[in-house]
Amino acid sequence: MASVSEMYDVGWEEMRDKLRKWREDNCRNSEQIVDVGEELISEHASKLGDDIWIIYEQVMIAALDCSRDDLALTCLQELRKQFPDSHRVKRLSGMRLEALERYDEANKHYDAILQDDPTNTVTRKRKISILKAQGKGTEAIRELNEYLEQFVGDQEAWHELSELYINEHDYGKAAFCLEELMMTNPHNHLYCEQYAEVKYTQGGLENLELSRKYFAQALRLNNRNMRALFGLYMSASHIAASPKVSAKVKKDNMKYAAWAATQINRAYKVSHRTIVISPQTSMRALLERV
Amino acid sequence: MPIQLTSQAYCKMVLHAAKYPHCAVNGLLVAEKTKEKKKDSHGEPVLCVDCVPLFHGTLALAPMLEVALTLIDTWCKENSYVIAGYYQANERTKDSRPNQVAEKVAARISENFSDAAIVMLDNSRLTMSCFEPIVLIYDHHENKWKSREVTFDCFEDWSEAQKITSALLEGRSYENLIDFDNHLDDLRNDWTNPVINKSVLDLC
Repeated sequence: MASVSEMYDVGWEEMRDKLRKWREDNCRNSEQIVDVGEELISEHASKLGDDIWIIYEQVMIAALDCSRDDLALTCLQELRKQFPDSHRVKRLSGMRLEALERYDEANKHYDAILQDDPTNTVTRKRKISILKAQGKGTEAIRELNEYLEQFVGDQEAWHELSELYINEHDYGKAAFCLEELMMTNPHNHLYCEQYAEVKYTQGGLENLELSRKYFAQALRLNNRNMRALFGLYMSASHIAASPKVSAKVKKDNMKYAAWAATQINRAYKVSHRTIVISPQTSMRALLERV
Repeated sequence: MPIQLTSQAYCKMVLHAAKYPHCAVNGLLVAEKTKEKKKDSHGEPVLCVDCVPLFHGTLALAPMLEVALTLIDTWCKENSYVIAGYYQANERTKDSRPNQVAEKVAARISENFSDAAIVMLDNSRLTMSCFEPIVLIYDHHENKWKSREVTFDCFEDWSEAQKITSALLEGRSYENLIDFDNHLDDLRNDWTNPVINKSVLDLC
């Protein structure tokens, strides 16, 4: 099989930079990381300098994702040699045990770290991940809530909690988590849009109106967010179709829906390449449902 | 009426699951619309000729699902298809039971197609070689979803499906599979997957 450098005609510096970009963006493209990282480590280790340690960590985690325990162990052993007493490396050992589904041993590793360093947030979150992996959704939620009482600013944790609640169909609590995220990240269109989706799913006229407002807000923050545009259309259409609204509210929402429909049509026209459906037909179908 | 899967439908489901190993994925199964209802059509299998991958990650939110159902329904009408089933692969390897989301969507589909089926992928048996079918098929009987035995009769041609799916997995074709989520990220992404369909045809 051709090497990555052969297939894509790249040098080792580009491969190293690509790995850095994936680290910074927190991408989970594990197969690619394994392909690029394995080659980099085996052929260019000497050129990487101190970067090699963080690359070992990145490749190890990606290798666990791809069931490449051989590669994961190699990386782990290098890290253990270099950093024999490190909590960070011990946590990686724990992650390997998680990947092998040896959860009790992994928990022992993590408990040992937390004995030494009770504020080690990453390790606490690994324990919660184990609960999630074991299908213990309610326990994971309980532990994550406790964690967030102490570490109120941990955005990743709030987001994880919102997802856990959504999976348990507890949309009210999921909305609460997203509200926390929106407060601390008022310019993040994705949180607005997700909040709107949760409100829409909760249902009821009040939630629909809230969802329409937040879809609109998401659009204001990023006018190319298609989910927000579709969401605006759907929520406005449902409100307009509700028998409980006044004539004015009905009229206003039909206007919003019509505007959204035009924007959707325009977006499809602009990017229309080999799309099988004609945007006009599908928009008509959506409109006719209301 | 039991459902049957073509190679194209089966392999695209498996590719979708393979593309997002750490997420739950779901999608719709489509069958060709039969012109007339034959009197004794009970017992004849419904052939699901294709599938449309929908979402990965969070499956339990309503708005985008409604959009997808409407757009795909329109596409079906234009191509004389009907939405005949729903597939899902759960997030965890060992969990292959249909959950509330699956039942809700299937109930929606059943409004238009009375014999809608739920197809669950058994993640724990997903392999590159695909030596056995990894689907569990559920039918609605007396208000409950009951699983049926999966035999090679559930496939139009199992050995072809096996050969094609295995080849596409080895070739990492799943990197190019487009689901509805990808489409919402960039409208140019085509959820009918013409490229993958062509690969399937070439391997037939």
